[in-house]
Amino acid sequence: MDLLIQLTLNGLFNGAHFALLAMGFALIFGTTGVVHFAYGPVYAVGAYAIWALAALVGLPFWAAVLLGIAFTAALGVGCYLFIYRPFEISGSPPFVVLVASLGLFIVMKNLIGIVFGTGVKTVDSVAYDVHFVGNAFFTTVQLGQVAAALLVGCGIALFLRASRYGKAIRAMADNREMATVIGIDTTRLSILVFALGSAVSAVAGALVLLRDGLNPNMGFGAVFVAFVAVIVGGVGSLRGAVIAAFLLAFVQSLGMWQIPTEWQNTIVFVVLFGFLLARPSGIVRRA
Amino acid sequence: MSKRTLFAALVLSSALTSGAALAADPAVYKIGGIFAMTGASPHYGKVMSAGAQLAVDEINAQGGIDGIKLQLVIEDHKSGSAQAAVAGMNRLVDVEGVKAVLPSFSTVTLATMPIGDQKKVMMINGGGVSAQTVGTSPYMFNIRSMASDLAAGIAHRAAEQGAKKLAQIAIKSEFGDATIAATTKAWEGMGLKMVAAEQFQADAANIDTQVAKLRASQPDAIANWPTTPQAGLAVKRMRELGMKQPVYCMEWTAEDTKVAGKHAEGVEVVTDYFAATDENPWSKRFADAYRAKFGEMPDFYAANYYEGVYVIAELIRRAKAKGGDYYSGERLVQALWENPTFDSVYGKTLTFRKNGVAQKPVAVFRLENGQQTFVKFTSGE
Repeated sequence: MDLLIQLTLNGLFNGAHFALLAMGFALIFGTTGVVHFAYGPVYAVGAYAIWALAALVGLPFWAAVLLGIAFTAALGVGCYLFIYRPFEISGSPPFVVLVASLGLFIVMKNLIGIVFGTGVKTVDSVAYDVHFVGNAFFTTVQLGQVAAALLVGCGIALFLRASRYGKAIRAMADNREMATVIGIDTTRLSILVFALGSAVSAVAGALVLLRDGLNPNMGFGAVFVAFVAVIVGGVGSLRGAVIAAFLLAFVQSLGMWQIPTEWQNTIVFVVLFGFLLARPSGIVRRA
Repeated sequence: MSKRTLFAALVLSSALTSGAALAADPAVYKIGGIFAMTGASPHYGKVMSAGAQLAVDEINAQGGIDGIKLQLVIEDHKSGSAQAAVAGMNRLVDVEGVKAVLPSFSTVTLATMPIGDQKKVMMINGGGVSAQTVGTSPYMFNIRSMASDLAAGIAHRAAEQGAKKLAQIAIKSEFGDATIAATTKAWEGMGLKMVAAEQFQADAANIDTQVAKLRASQPDAIANWPTTPQAGLAVKRMRELGMKQPVYCMEWTAEDTKVAGKHAEGVEVVTDYFAATDENPWSKRFADAYRAKFGEMPDFYAANYYEGVYVIAELIRRAKAKGGDYYSGERLVQALWENPTFDSVYGKTLTFRKNGVAQKPVAVFRLENGQQTFVKFTSGE
């Protein structure tokens, strides 16, 4: 029973991390249609920027996180304006943008190694506690991941429902051509969602910096999880992406209760393939 | 045949023989290195290539081998990609014309070993520990302790500290499988109980599930098999989850100490042992030169690949002294078995056993204040 509780908690905490990544990716992909694989290295660069500001510059961690989030948002916007936007203007087919995104992924990943080195980066200045429920343990950082996922999720939901820009984003995600016809500035909205989505990834990056440390390859796993969550959740649905992120984490964790852990990734994807076969449009079907 | 004709024939024969011998000398002796220069674990590629390059530079500074220089040609296996390793090995052999290669990582060594065997290229592994590299090719040699040696070392150390139940964690790879199998065999061979063996993917950052299962198995001690940086991550997670049992690792680097932070304290490392000592002047010279050139002390990986180059250079020298078409993998292997003992940077000499594995001491270290403190030698047999 102790193991089951521990695995459930692990699923919850990992699900929160996956949900943060999935929300950022879903915002960008669902609104602009750009399969932004470079989201992975953008997330990684954001985390490295926070590390640099905290460990090299010596800023307090909270200040480093705020500046890192702003930097990551700007980096995401830069990706859109300088890489994807020119293809949009020239009317390039989606697969060309996809290839550009993969190219950007590789360039950015290698740049991280060149600029920051290939070693693991950690922050020593932030101490955190260990808590327990019965015999099961968790850390303050893991609690922070759940809190961050809740706050960011609620914040984005509120923004999309209540604000003028949020409503415009929903309209654009629903039908880009119609949004343009009724006078919505889709370029400005694309800039906004790239900024928002990238900023959300920096929140996830800051917490992973505290929990596991950083390495130049961290972006691949992040964008992979985010992409799968968005597809399983139903493209265009933020709620679906969050549900799928938690589903992924719980299957990854609880699925190993009675199965050797070497099967972890295999069992996850067997379950997901089965799910997609049964429900190809994803968890949340759009009208 | 007149005397004059006979003399002319002898002179011509002598000239041809001499010409053939000269033709056998390459412009440079190229030694291949297949290292993890990029990917998840570039630390290994950095130190292995640094050790090998330092040896090449030293030998060249002393005039090479009878005036012919050595050259290290590096191929990147991207931290364990068998595909990249095979492509690199083929390039080294077919394009660069190397006769000796230094592979690293178990997966890579196993993937490239059939090419070495088929094309008669000598291979000296100083990094991978898989038992599957032993005794399967006459061209394959190992200058580091194999998984079975290290597993036995850890099993003996854990048992002498009173453990009855052992749990293991490893990366899901040929290396991980080999170490888990070897440790289970050594541990259960002593009549003790193995309670868990958990594995995870090489690029996984999150191993909470595996650690939760280790904890639930309630072991007396843990054999922690991942390499850098996951070795440090596993220790961090175990300690954060309240596991206070002794942890034994096969290797531990400064990267792991950085990742594990304060939790590294007390971790024990059972591994190949390199330390510069006053009793061994070569080790001091090597360590000083390495630190001067690369700004850090060499670890045993750097020492193994440094030593590997010296072994190959010595083999070329011995084969060349015997004359004929000496520069081939076959002749290098033949030269090794004619005398399998070589000077060792670890101290005195190393001798290749009949299975092609050089015997080395297996040492126990304990992490104290972020530094590895030597505890004792233990059984690696």
